[in-house]
Amino acid sequence: MATFETKNKHAHLQEDIIKYLLILAAAISILTTFGILFSILFEAIEFFKLKSFVYFFTGTEWTPGVENSQFGALPIFAGTFMITAIAMAVALPIGLGSAIYMSEYATPNARNVLKPLLEILAGIPTVVYGFFAAITVAPFIVKISAAVGIEASFNSALASGVVMGIMIIPYISSLSDDVITAVPDSLRKGSLALGMTKAETIKDIVIPSAMPGIISATLLGISKALGETMIVVMAAGLRPNLSWNILEDMTTVTVRIVDALTGDQAFNSPATLSAFALGLALFVVTLILNIVSVRLIQKFKEKYKMSSL
Amino acid sequence: MDKNSIFYDPSLKRRHFKSKLFKYFTLSSLVVSLLFLGIFLLDMVLKGSSAVQQTYIQVEVSYNQESIDNYRSIVDKKYLNLLSRAALREVPEQMQANPSLMNTKEVVWILADDQVDMYMKKYYYKIGEKDLSTLEELQKNGMVDKKFNTIFFTHGDSKTPEYSGILSAFIGTILTLAVTMLVAFPIGVATAVYLEEFSKQNWWSEFLEININNLAAIPSILFGLLGLAIYINLFGLPRSSALVGGLTLALMTLPIIVVSSRAALRSVPASIRQAGYALGLTKVQVVKDHVIPLAFPGIMTGNIIGLAHAMGETAPLIIVGMIAFIPDSPSSVMEAATVMPAQLFTWAGMPERAYIERTAAGILVLLSVLISLNSLAVYLRKKFEVKW
Amino acid sequence: MAKNKVKIEVKDLNLWYGDKHALHGLNIELYKNKITALIGPSGCGKSTFLRCLNRMNDLITSVRVEGEVVIDGKNIYDKDVDEVSVRKRIGMVFQQPNPFPKSIYENVAYAPLKHGIVKKGSSCDELVEQSLRSAGIWNEVKDILKEPGTGLSGGQQQRLCIARTIAVKPDVILMDEPTSALDPISTEKIEALMLELKKEYTIITVTHNMQQAARIADMTAFFHLGDLIEYDETEKIFINPAQKKTEDYITGRFG
Ligand SMILES: Nc1ncnc2c1ncn2[C@@H]1O[C@H](COP(=O)(O)OP(=O)(O)OP(=O)(O)O)[C@@H](O)[C@H]1O
Ligand SMILES: [Mg+2]
Repeated sequence: MATFETKNKHAHLQEDIIKYLLILAAAISILTTFGILFSILFEAIEFFKLKSFVYFFTGTEWTPGVENSQFGALPIFAGTFMITAIAMAVALPIGLGSAIYMSEYATPNARNVLKPLLEILAGIPTVVYGFFAAITVAPFIVKISAAVGIEASFNSALASGVVMGIMIIPYISSLSDDVITAVPDSLRKGSLALGMTKAETIKDIVIPSAMPGIISATLLGISKALGETMIVVMAAGLRPNLSWNILEDMTTVTVRIVDALTGDQAFNSPATLSAFALGLALFVVTLILNIVSVRLIQKFKEKYKMSSL
Repeated sequence: MDKNSIFYDPSLKRRHFKSKLFKYFTLSSLVVSLLFLGIFLLDMVLKGSSAVQQTYIQVEVSYNQESIDNYRSIVDKKYLNLLSRAALREVPEQMQANPSLMNTKEVVWILADDQVDMYMKKYYYKIGEKDLSTLEELQKNGMVDKKFNTIFFTHGDSKTPEYSGILSAFIGTILTLAVTMLVAFPIGVATAVYLEEFSKQNWWSEFLEININNLAAIPSILFGLLGLAIYINLFGLPRSSALVGGLTLALMTLPIIVVSSRAALRSVPASIRQAGYALGLTKVQVVKDHVIPLAFPGIMTGNIIGLAHAMGETAPLIIVGMIAFIPDSPSSVMEAATVMPAQLFTWAGMPERAYIERTAAGILVLLSVLISLNSLAVYLRKKFEVKW
Repeated sequence: MAKNKVKIEVKDLNLWYGDKHALHGLNIELYKNKITALIGPSGCGKSTFLRCLNRMNDLITSVRVEGEVVIDGKNIYDKDVDEVSVRKRIGMVFQQPNPFPKSIYENVAYAPLKHGIVKKGSSCDELVEQSLRSAGIWNEVKDILKEPGTGLSGGQQQRLCIARTIAVKPDVILMDEPTSALDPISTEKIEALMLELKKEYTIITVTHNMQQAARIADMTAFFHLGDLIEYDETEKIFINPAQKKTEDYITGRFG
């Protein structure tokens, strides 16, 4: 009896130790999130001690290197917005169209082949896309523009936007395909039985039903585009440029972060610290997009009582 | 059809046409996406395939003291501009390693200059008029030839494009990913085990869950900011090192491993656990001896996918300085290193045309590795897929 | 029976799911402004037959149909007949209520607008009201027309689906176990509604509920393993069936 008890105690202790080790491991994900938040936040605060917070969000002059440097990030945000918009203009119709074809028209066998094939696009390293954008797409755009008598920059927003769009296609198509497939068949039958054509059924019944999921996929795509770095570092410009002309060079938040942190400025100079202010803006925006996106997908799951997506 | 029939409806023609149009729109989006993939891969193959070969020139080399002192006198002066400086600089070392060569002459194949290589591959080249006629002469005599490009696989980065390779970046990638997996694997699997097997449904587990989800959605470059601020500035770990790069990537890979390991654990049926408890085993024993072994193939699959993901990552590594010029392979995780994608980034920014070819070739190598890894993951999943 | 007007005439109808012969040479005449009930054990082909009448089976790729379904003198399987126009004329109500995730108003207005039966505006409003009234649900939803149709109770949803079907002004309404997912009170309402609707429409309904068939159907067809065993006036089928199999089924000896 005595041995039995001591053994039990020993086992208990071991169980507890293991359990706490597991909790510790799990806590690392939280530490990481807060690590990112605080490391960015602290340096960003350092930056805003030196430079105006208001001007950062409203100013249009970004001159980090010079004396009396100014940090108005508006043109940087604008460039980020433009390139993201171009990317989504490419990725959304093509991604959604592909998703509709795979889920509504293709046979299940074809779908099983097509979907992973599209997902290869998501597995290609972004540095490879960057190379493609800079070496192939950008010169092509310059050539085409010249042919019609327009001048385009070798660092045009269009080149990086389009290539970024290609990269984002699978993010849109995969999730959209999932949610469209999850729309119950009874709705399609109900519409077809009223004498609707297949396309009318898809456009008027299926897509609206899957809308929360599609919006969620879109937000995820936007978040990807905002945070994408290599494509723009390699193919977009460095010059903050407040313009609507997508053939001009523009810069993005991520490009300026890389630029600020790979230079040889002192770490606590405003030029370097500005990277953290930009990083903070990026963190907050992508976090919000992600939270909204997850909420929407949860709503969709609840609506159609799906357990896994 | 009879116009009086109740099934006569001329307006349907238009609606069917629109329906067809819609179908073709969706089909063409799919075709366009796949076309992008095709064009893209083809472009890489076209740009990179010429790097499989490299130009060599057959010249007479004189091994003597003078050439040891000055590599420029190894060959006839008129060939100097046609040959790779970096390759010529190696000749004195060969002599020192093999003294019997001393004071002999020998006709050998020497690596050509990158411009000669570009000329041979019919790209744009810049060669002086005199050098060009020498080259044409050599070519006529069959003294110029393209051979398999071993240098690309056996050398590190170099300032002379013809002499640069991906070996040091490859080693850097292995070291970095070793750190990544050593950290991310145990923590990721432990987190998954905790969430699936031990945690109760409460605010804490929910909080963890949301956290892991968000972690997966944070732009990768922000992990670089964390690496810079915490590992380098706070902990003082060496900048550019595989250690810092690996630790940074570990945090990024974590959510991928957690999510897929959880799926693997969840697929182990409850009956297995109940059988364990019925035998009087403790929870830890059941999980350790029965659940994890059964989930292991699935866990491995997730880890391989995470690994492939980390392997292609560039942005955070640039932030922690892993784009340094690294000609020699690093031998420890504390040394400055670079990784394959970062090497490609560096080359892509070089002005010489020869680097473009090497970048594309490097991309093909990187993609091959990634495809192999992903195929392995798919294979593992298929092989160990058990229908419970 | 001579006074009955034939609405649908089915001739030698055969149907295969791939190799599986699901309907074996059916011949049947279905009458105008009557409720015809299709009964029979599970898997005997009632739904399959029903779907032949509005060509919903065309949606299943493995299906092959032979024979004729003549509606108002036109074989709907003729080459020049568009299956979409068939479905427009032959409405269908399903076992599970399946309102679209749109407002109650849009649920009803959707198809008529697409078919060009009405234009947006007051004529559409009128049609929606009229359809909802005919489906006996107007009083319950008239104040919440903008609310989603999915928020209604099961019975209300089913009546909404009926309203949506009659808004297209079909000739025939097919119903596949329309009350089997509903509670008794909702069922009663639907049954009353069907009796009301048959004045204007021809109704063909599938049911597993013998009492229901007896209560509402004028004609009853008994199916077994893809064959039409017996088809007659409901009273006859229930009181004095000609076939042993029918009697066995109705008395609950198998099924
Ligand atoms: N889509 C399909 N593919 C292949 N076989 C089918 C399909 N639908 C039905 N069947 C088969 O055809 C036969 C008739 O099915 P049907 O659904 O018409 O029966 P039912 O009389 O409506 O049964 P229930 O009363 O259960 O609804 C069954 O054997 C069924 O398995
Ligand atoms: Mg049925």
